Amino acid sequence: MNYEHCIRCTICVENCPVFRANPEFPGPKQAGPDAQRFRSDRDKSTDSWVLLCSQCKRCEMACPCGVEPAQIILKAQQRFGREHTHSPAHLLFANNYYLSALGSYTAPLANRIAASKIGKKIFNTLGIATHIPFPRFCFRTLRQEKKSLSSSNKKVAFFYGCFINFYRPDIGRKIIKILNTFNVDVVLPPQWCCGLPALGNGNLFLARAFAQKNAASLVNYIDAGYDIVYSCTSCGLCLQNDYSGILEIPQAKKISESTYNFHEYLLRLIADEYIKPRFGELRRKIAYHIPCHLRALKIGYPAAKLLDKITGLEYQILDDSCCGLSGSYGFKKSNENTSVQLGRRAVSFIRKTGASSIVADCGSCRMQLSGISGLQSFDPVELICESLENNSGP
Amino acid sequence: MSLIEYDVIIIGAGLAGLTAGSSLARQGFRVAIVTTGEPTACLSTGCVDLCSGLASPLENIRQLSSYHPFHFIDPELIRQTLNNFSEAVKEMGIPYVGSPDENRRILTALGTFKTTCLVPVTMQASANNVQEKIHIVTFRGLKDFYPSYIISRLKNASFSVYDAGVSTTMGIAANFEQEDFLEAFICWLGNIEISENKIAFPAVLGSESAAEISKKIEHQLGRPVFEIPTIPPSMPGRRLFNRLKNYFRKNKGFIYWNWPVVGVEKSGKLIEAVVTSSVGRPNSLNAKAFILASGSFVGGGLVATRDTILEKVFNLPVHIPGRREFWFEQNYFSVNHNIEKAGIEVDSSFRPVNCLWENVFVCGGILANTEILKNGCGNGLALCTGEAAAISCAEYLR
Repeated sequence: MNYEHCIRCTICVENCPVFRANPEFPGPKQAGPDAQRFRSDRDKSTDSWVLLCSQCKRCEMACPCGVEPAQIILKAQQRFGREHTHSPAHLLFANNYYLSALGSYTAPLANRIAASKIGKKIFNTLGIATHIPFPRFCFRTLRQEKKSLSSSNKKVAFFYGCFINFYRPDIGRKIIKILNTFNVDVVLPPQWCCGLPALGNGNLFLARAFAQKNAASLVNYIDAGYDIVYSCTSCGLCLQNDYSGILEIPQAKKISESTYNFHEYLLRLIADEYIKPRFGELRRKIAYHIPCHLRALKIGYPAAKLLDKITGLEYQILDDSCCGLSGSYGFKKSNENTSVQLGRRAVSFIRKTGASSIVADCGSCRMQLSGISGLQSFDPVELICESLENNSGP
Repeated sequence: MSLIEYDVIIIGAGLAGLTAGSSLARQGFRVAIVTTGEPTACLSTGCVDLCSGLASPLENIRQLSSYHPFHFIDPELIRQTLNNFSEAVKEMGIPYVGSPDENRRILTALGTFKTTCLVPVTMQASANNVQEKIHIVTFRGLKDFYPSYIISRLKNASFSVYDAGVSTTMGIAANFEQEDFLEAFICWLGNIEISENKIAFPAVLGSESAAEISKKIEHQLGRPVFEIPTIPPSMPGRRLFNRLKNYFRKNKGFIYWNWPVVGVEKSGKLIEAVVTSSVGRPNSLNAKAFILASGSFVGGGLVATRDTILEKVFNLPVHIPGRREFWFEQNYFSVNHNIEKAGIEVDSSFRPVNCLWENVFVCGGILANTEILKNGCGNGLALCTGEAAAISCAEYLR
């Protein structure tokens, strides 16, 4: 931890979305490097305000000195979680994976309860916010897809993540379909939650358990010549950064070497001249909201490079504001106010562009922005798929 | 090898990098900026100092030491660059005022006056002498802005305090963006008796729309208002950075955040790619030319060790002002610290001297012999050398 490199310039504070909205949070400089000097291993942690950090990582991206305040805070959050009892909301969201599995299994019922008045009351009592509708579970998850194998020499193991699996398997199917059309084999390796929700709710133990299971599974595929492709930017960031960092997964480097963002992977296939996609026209004006975690991945905005190739598509990149939901963060009653304020701010920038719909790589960004603005939102995959179809195949 | 090829990659997203980037992108080159974090421009007052002193900045430049990089730039280009800048920021909604023929003085939070050249329109009406009659409005709990400092020097000034509900620069600025807050504030302001001619505020009048907000207050109260720059977080600096960043993007430039350069790929006399740190496979970007605009010590472009000074991106030779004991004057507040001369020496094409690379250009605070503090030339130097390096780079690429 390099908190001593902090020169107290406050650039991180200027970039902190939570600090802007919630006066209770002292900001990344104080919660991170400043407080770190006073954190002693001998005393029980008392800094409950570290839980107010949404782990958007904007402070890390802004710091000119490489201090990584969010990492310092993340460690403090894990420690706080270890030393104190967890609220029901924290416990539930840390176990989001099991909860969603149950939700999907009982989808018709679960969706009805989640949308009902009584369901909302239950949510609120548990400390879960209801400012935007809870995402709808899908009964037929992606996991149940049949494998489609050919004799291609490009092989992908798709890490679909919980959001696609439980809520939007259709996006996952589109990804598989695009890859298949380009003569790339896709398999769905055994996988669990990436671990980020557990980490975000101060449950390092659970997060590590998930990560270990995933790592063991993914490495099998890498050894068999597969590339790992993810679509959720937060899963990706967790695989790329947290596995090697705070989760201390021994196979992390190997996984990181073979792991690609879906759009990054397509660009690579194009650069290698393995595929020559022809994109059909899409007449549309969209606002491309960049998820914080995509920005933190250091790969630029690969989907934008693909959207560039679509004639007629007008888009504007918006990467200055966090949507405020940050996974389960904004679904906690205690963060609802912060989350709504940030969401409204992000929406106001979207409205200024005059776009008719929103595009974002991250499912939870889309939930929040659509929920607050009433505008339709899409995954870039959906546009790419539509454009490719408009041109009747590659 | 990386996926994407650019014509130019600029290292650093400060004023120099963004100026060079926009200039090249407007000519149709494919430009990317890679940056570790956000630049020191965010910490600045947002004012563009060109060359301090009482005479016109363009006159003052002639008096600078002959090593100063300004001497490589035609005065007409300096004028042109500032014009371009003014047009760009106006287009982006934060108009600036001033001209390179004249310096102006603006009031600081200490009650002293800062000499500068171009200022945001919200500082146009700034008091410029101790006789002025001003009323200062500050905010309850706002740290590091104490009207009494100013009043101790400006005897005709008085102040009042408004409770904004929050006490941080960012928080108050965000509140001003909300119409109800602004209206309640103007209403409160209208009810206090102010006999002075002008009203001053710390620079918190909105995170983005300060020009409109100050105009509204001015209109309602019937007298000029102005902002006084604060210590960081500095809203005018951030507004400037945000707008120049958006201007670069508008011209199809691309920014890679969180992208510290940790190595390069080279071949013969050319740099081929820059590489960032990564856990897994190498993450690199290649281009035909590179512009180094990584700033000075605070920006991270220069790193001082116990006995030497390093440039860590291309390992360029650094001009070091003697042994360490000569780096600093005894008097801390002196503006003559020799360390200010440290940096990369360039030739008139803004290529680094004494090194191999044909496709590397350098601009901004990392240049040697700038003595920014002494000469009062910070942001102006960044803009003008950024433009000059972009011109050389464009010539090279054609």
